[in-house]
This record gives sequence, C-alpha cells and structure tokens, in this order.
Amino acid sequence: MTVTVGSTSLPLPLVVRGKVRDVYAVGDDRLLLVASDRVSAFDVVMNELVPYKGAVLTQMTAWWLRQLGELVPHHMVSADADEIIALVPALAPHRDTLAGRSMLGLRGQVFPVECVIRGYLSGSALKEYRATGTLAGERLADGLVEADRFDPPVFSPATKAETGHDENITITHVRAQLGEAVAAELEHMSRLIYERGRDVAATRGIIIADTKFEFAQRDGRIILVDEVLTPDSSRFWPADQYQPGRTQPSFDKQPLRDWLDVERRAGRWDGNAPPPSLPPEVVQATSARYLDAFARLTGAPLDTSSLP
Amino acid sequence: MNHERYSSPLAERYASPAMLSLWSAHTRHGLWRRLWLALAEGERTLGVDISEAAIIEMRAHLDDIDFAKVAEYEKRFRHDVMAHVHAFGEAAPAARGVIHLGATSAFVTDNGDLIQMRRGLELLRARVVSVIQRLAIFAAEWRAEPALGYTHLQAAQLTTVGKRATLWMQDLVLDIAELDHRLATLPLRGVKGTTGTQASFLELFKGDHAKVRELDRLVVHAMGFEQSIPVSGQTYSRKLDAQVLSIVSGIAASAAKFASDIRMLQSFGEIEEPFEKEQIGSSAMAYKRNPMRSERINSLARFVLSLEGNANQTHSVQYFERTLDDSANRRLVIPEAFLATDAILILMENITGGLEVHPARIRARIADELPFMATEKLIVSAVEAGGDRQVAHEVIRRHSIAAARAMKDDGARNDMLARLAADPEFGVPIGNLEATLDAHHFVGRAPEQVDDFLAEVIAPILATGHAAAPAAEIRV
Repeated sequence: MTVTVGSTSLPLPLVVRGKVRDVYAVGDDRLLLVASDRVSAFDVVMNELVPYKGAVLTQMTAWWLRQLGELVPHHMVSADADEIIALVPALAPHRDTLAGRSMLGLRGQVFPVECVIRGYLSGSALKEYRATGTLAGERLADGLVEADRFDPPVFSPATKAETGHDENITITHVRAQLGEAVAAELEHMSRLIYERGRDVAATRGIIIADTKFEFAQRDGRIILVDEVLTPDSSRFWPADQYQPGRTQPSFDKQPLRDWLDVERRAGRWDGNAPPPSLPPEVVQATSARYLDAFARLTGAPLDTSSLP
Repeated sequence: MNHERYSSPLAERYASPAMLSLWSAHTRHGLWRRLWLALAEGERTLGVDISEAAIIEMRAHLDDIDFAKVAEYEKRFRHDVMAHVHAFGEAAPAARGVIHLGATSAFVTDNGDLIQMRRGLELLRARVVSVIQRLAIFAAEWRAEPALGYTHLQAAQLTTVGKRATLWMQDLVLDIAELDHRLATLPLRGVKGTTGTQASFLELFKGDHAKVRELDRLVVHAMGFEQSIPVSGQTYSRKLDAQVLSIVSGIAASAAKFASDIRMLQSFGEIEEPFEKEQIGSSAMAYKRNPMRSERINSLARFVLSLEGNANQTHSVQYFERTLDDSANRRLVIPEAFLATDAILILMENITGGLEVHPARIRARIADELPFMATEKLIVSAVEAGGDRQVAHEVIRRHSIAAARAMKDDGARNDMLARLAADPEFGVPIGNLEATLDAHHFVGRAPEQVDDFLAEVIAPILATGHAAAPAAEIRV
C-alpha cells in the first residue's frame, strides 16, 4: 500500500500551505518544500490523492536542477529524505511523509513575479491572438492556429497579489518594481532555462508548451527556486499526438479531464467545488501518467523502492 | 504596519508595489541625487572646477540614502532640500562643496516631480493596455451575442455584448492618445535658477549665455528628457500638473463609466464581475453577490475626479514667480491621484479578466422586449403571408397594448407572439414569427463593428511593444 499525503504537519514553522505544497522554514536560511499528492483540474482541487504525484513533482524538479546546474544557480540542497533527515534530525520520525516528495532548499528573497514563458500558442495567449492577432506587445504572424510553436518563445511575467484580488503585471511594471537590470536578467534566465528544457523534453517525446519559473535573490545573486518544469508548473503535451489546429491532450491530466468532462456533460457536476468523487481507475490512470512522464523525461522510472 | 497611527488605505490596501515604489521617499530623493549628479557633470563639462573624484563619489551613492541622518539635518535646518544636500555631501565628501552649485530647491523638487509624473503615466499606460487586452478577448468572444441596448436607461434597439465592450475600450483608447501626447511633450523644468532667470548660472559661467543654455540642455538630456520648459518662474507652471491630472482623472472617469455599466448589468443578472469561491457577499444575506469591485472603482474614481479641479485651483492662485501654497497640496494630490488610479486599473484588470456572462438571462430579457421593437418586421411577415398591411398594424397595436398591460399588471412574460399567432386576422404561425424575431437579425453591424474595431484600432495598440501580460492561467 502506497502512502499518499494530502497535507502535512511537521515540527517546523510553516511558511505557507499552498494548493498542492506545504513549505516550512528550516532555520533562517533554508526551506523545506513538501509536495502533496493533491491534484486539481479545471481550477478545482479533487478530494482524492494521486499516488506518487508529490514524489514525481519533487524528483522531476531535482532532476531538472541537476541538468541545469551549470546553466543557472538554484536553491536545491537535497531531495533525498535520508540526507534531509541527516541535516535536520528533528524530521527523523517523519521519514514516511517526506520520502520522495520533499526538497530542502536555500531560502532567498523571492521576486514577486511569476516568470511565465510560452513556446506554443495556447490558453489565454490563444484568446488574445484570436481577438487581435497580438501577444505580449507584438503582432504575431497571420494564420497561426492553436498549439502552433513560437520562435523565439514569448516572455510574459505575471503575479498574484498576496491578498484580495489577483494582480496581473506588465513588463513595464516588472522594470519599475525590480529595476531594468533585474527584469532583464529574469527574462534572460527564463528564456535560457525554458529553451534548454523544451529541447531536452522534445527528445523524450514531451512538448513543454509553456511554463513558469520563480526566482529569488540570495547573497546578491539571482537563483532559481520553487518547482521547475513539472507538469504542475507547465503544460506538458505528448509529442506523438501533437497536431496544431486543435486543443492538445494533456500529458498528465488527460484521463482526469476526460472523466470530469463526461460528468460535466452529463450534468452530474457543475464545474465548481466540491468536485465529484473520482473512481479508483481514474486515480490510478492519473498516477500512471505522472510516473510515465517522469520515466520518459529522465530516462529511468521513479525509484519507488525507497518510498513507503 | 503600525496600528496606532493613520496610514493611507491607498498604500495599505489598494495600489500596486510598482506605483508605491515610484512615489516613495527613496525614489524621490534618489532622483534628487541623480539630478545633482547631472548638474555637477554638466557644470564640469562646461569648465566649472569640479573634480572627477566628486563625480565618482556622487555616482557611487545615488541610492544609499541615510534617512536617519537626513532627519537629523532637517531638524537643525528646517529645510528638506538642504538636509539632503548635507546628507549627500557626507556620503560623497569630495563633492560636498559643489553639490547643488548654482541651483535653487526647485531644481531638484520640480524636476524630480516631473520625472515621477512621467514614470507614473508610463505605469498607468501599461495597465490601461492590459485592460484593453482583456476587453479585446471579451469583445471577440461575445461579438455576436445579442443584448438589449439601453437609451435613457430604457430598453432600446439591440446591440451585442461584445459591441458594448468596444464602447468601454474606445474610452480607454482616447485616454491613451492623451497619454501618448503628454508623454511625448512633458518637459523638465531644467536649470533655471531662483526666479527662473538663470542669473546664478550666468554668474557661474561669467556671462557666457551659450554655456548656460548648454547646461540646461545637458541636464535635461542626462535625465532622459527631450526638452526643458522654455521659461519658468521659480517653479514650472503648475498648469503642467493640471494637464497631467486631467489625463489621470480622464482614465478614472472611463473606468467609472465601465464600472457603472457592470453594476447595472449585474443588477439585471446579465453579466457579473468575478466572485472568489470563498468570497462573502453580505454578512446578513448569504445568497448575495454584490458588485463590490465595480463599486470600489466608482468610489475611488470620484476621489480622483475631485483632484483634477484641485490642480487647476493650485495653478490659478500661484502669484508672480511662485508662492509656496502649492507645496503641501501637491504633495498630497499628485501621488494620490496616481495611486488611486493605479488601484482603479488593477480592479478593472481583475474584472475584465473574469466577467461572467449569463446568455440565458440576456436572451430572456430580450424576449420580453423584442416583440415590441419588431413591429415593422412583423407587419412584413403578415403581408408576406398574404395579409393586409393596415390590418396587420392594427392587430399588432391591439396585442402589443394587451401584452404590455399583462406584463405590468400581472407580472406576466411577454406573450405577444402567442397572441398574434392565435389571431386568425394576423395569419402567421408562431414558428414563423419566432424565426422573424431571431435576435441576431436585430443587431445591425455590431459583430462586424467589433471585428473592425479590434483589427483597426486595438491591434495596433497591443502591438506597440508595450507588452500587457496575458493572465497567468498555467495552473490547471
């Protein structure tokens, strides 16, 4: 029986409890990020937990950071539960909660900007293109269709206010707030990482259509933090089914979306919380998709032998 | 946050980090230091004896302002500009003796204010573009969805949901034209001296008029401006403030018109502003969804509109080369107008990015009104079915009055079509009448106007490199 984790309660100061991740402070200098097995679709968090999802997200981030190590400085100290426990002995009794899904990282001053970067025409970018033929301040070529590829990718930062209303920001605001130099560096790093990630994933049969990064300042340097190029921070499309001109299937969530779509069309679900109960086979299929994404991308299956 | 003292809700609740940072003491006094640096560099270039070390030290201390030290000096001197001159001199000792050489306080305060205002206009412009982008997506999606038009706030000929959005967008397009004009022409005060005659600089350059003019030009260019105001008193004409505030309040007015429309549409049940999943509408009436964001826009916009007149009044009572009764007033009015308008546009971005349209409700409201508006088409359908035009008109008149009476007296839905179909004198089956009354036939060129407007007016605005961020919707 696999251990799934919905929300955690560790003997450390909780910094933030997110939709799918809990973040704790380790001293003044480091953070422990714990990815749960919660899953959301159509903006609603499901009741059921998806086995291995948290471990896939964390180990995929760790894998990417090892690949990208020489390209950009990053926050990761360790994503190995035993190493983390050796560094933070108070966590010893919680090994089962941590295993696979947790990452110890350096703590920095996080820039209040989500560095969104798009390599393919999809989502709200598609809507703008259809309305006016533009995106992020540029007029795009005529005749693009849904899921067409952009070269170069489009950088379009965004943010969410901490409380109250969402606040979307423009590049002008990023520059005004963080200064020209930092804004330019964030764009440069985002492009570098995304382009590398997109190229690597393409050779493994996965299209990373768009993604978002977070960066922090630490000791005068900009470092990559948070999760990196995972299905939760990006759109993953299966390359063998890629067909511009239609909505692409989602590599990770398609079984879940398909099932929810049927429920919606049948009038059994109105699309808002609370979500319907997922049948076990849908949960299993979703779990298998996450594991498959990991295995394809990294070239080796997730090592589940050390997981509880 | 200190809960024991008043703090501005614009700073605590409403405005964005970028706009708050623009109007911060750090930005303001950082600009003063940059102006002093530009002045010293210009003077040095033109032969005044200022050491390279002085310039290097000034440049190295543009942003590390010791505000505690400034406060100490200000307590002694009762003069904020001189307090900053001394604090800067302490940080850059090689420059101590030349900082502010030949200048009057208005050199830093007025030039600094103009730079802040121009940056503020740029920030507002980016947000206006971002709102336009969201409305463009909305207008395209709903370009052909018929909706009741309203004149006199009474149901009138149909328009479309998307066409109405182009009216809101057009107001903002007009605001952008004003913004662009002001951004292109806003001058600096430049280097003008105490009463604007440049006397101190003429003395510094030993009567060399050309050098005085050149210093003015050098400083203005170093600060990223094209021109300085041709003539000034001690200060630049406060008319510039009034012109800037006119644009800012114009944006607020455009937003307020939009917000009023949304509040009414929400009251009709046709369109609602976004509502968070856990938001509470009313502490007592749990079912309520109030248009509180639109209401807040109207609330803040009235505040901004009240400031526009204030700036003109300040200008109107400046005596001769300047009086100081502008100072405290401008300190409040200018930043607050920008912060409040920034807050208004953040709300508008949020609303325009998440408008909920209820087509069934819109169609039901059309169905109650359209039969009355369609008299001409109904007559034609009766004549086409072999009827007499005069008879058809009379039948329609009779049934219109009866149906309207039933709606008003009994609260009935509009059953005029059923009445006509049941009347053998009219002789058109209900199916044909309903087809005649397909709302899409009554919207004129509204969908095509939306297409033209997006392609011809909006696309060029969105494609000028002033990127507006698409909403972050990557998390699924």
